[in-house]
Amino acid sequence: MIDYVDLYESTWKELPWKFEGGTPIIAGAIGLGAAIDFLEEIGLDNIERHEKHLVAYAMEQMREIEGLKIYGPQQDRSSLITFNLDTVHPHDLATVLDSYGIAVRAGHHCAQPLMRWLNVTATARASFYVYNTEEEVDVLVAGLKKTKEYFGNVFS
Amino acid sequence: MSSLDDLYRRVIMDHYQKPRNRGKLEESDGLIVNLNNPTCGDSISLSLKVEEGKVVDAKFLGEGCSISMSSASMMTDAVKGKPVEEALELAHKFSDLMQGKEIDDSIDLGDIEALSGVAKFPARIKCATLAWKALEQGIKAARQE
Repeated sequence: MIDYVDLYESTWKELPWKFEGGTPIIAGAIGLGAAIDFLEEIGLDNIERHEKHLVAYAMEQMREIEGLKIYGPQQDRSSLITFNLDTVHPHDLATVLDSYGIAVRAGHHCAQPLMRWLNVTATARASFYVYNTEEEVDVLVAGLKKTKEYFGNVFS
Repeated sequence: MSSLDDLYRRVIMDHYQKPRNRGKLEESDGLIVNLNNPTCGDSISLSLKVEEGKVVDAKFLGEGCSISMSSASMMTDAVKGKPVEEALELAHKFSDLMQGKEIDDSIDLGDIEALSGVAKFPARIKCATLAWKALEQGIKAARQE
């Protein structure tokens, strides 16, 4: 922040105000406080339990889908599932899932060397958090089956 | 699934499964443009042979989704044998098509028309335009030579 401004010279406020230009992130700080309250009210252990339950619930059903490959550990995962379905490109897969209201990330996930190591061009990734439900996992799984059916028809 | 059917038209899947003009030209025989879509990982390597103001040959290699690869296949098919001006004109029309604009009938888009459904899927527009961006860069490079 400035102290005095002229056409060819200016003086600055003393520290720390010199580096505090503009409006501080007041809304952000209040939002962070509210987010912390929210998480503490639910409890981090409960959140972790919920995530692990959803991932296990999803994994169990996804393993049953023929041609679906899950990358990484097959058990004790954190709350992400990275996968590919047959030869369907993840972008195409994501577009079909999107039509069912399911958002997955598709592409190289800012991890191109990992994609090369996995010997794939791209993957799809579903992630689960406190606000996700078993019903949504069911829609995801149904969407994956539909995708398989849809592209199976297209390719046949 | 009707809007999905608008996107994944049969002719698109046909180009995806059986890409036309897949390959590359010798470096002595043309110029090569390599383009990536860094946010999604699609890539194309377009070989262009431009002689006397004409796109004499076009081939492509690449990796990507059905939209980006079928678009590359259609693009190479469409511009081969065309004067550079017409090829660029087609690129502009394609850009209009992706923005959902009406295209006048003066140019027959052929198979390319099948990609018009992409305009309704904003996240996929960049997939479809990758090959055409490569074409524009290639023509620009050819003109500078």
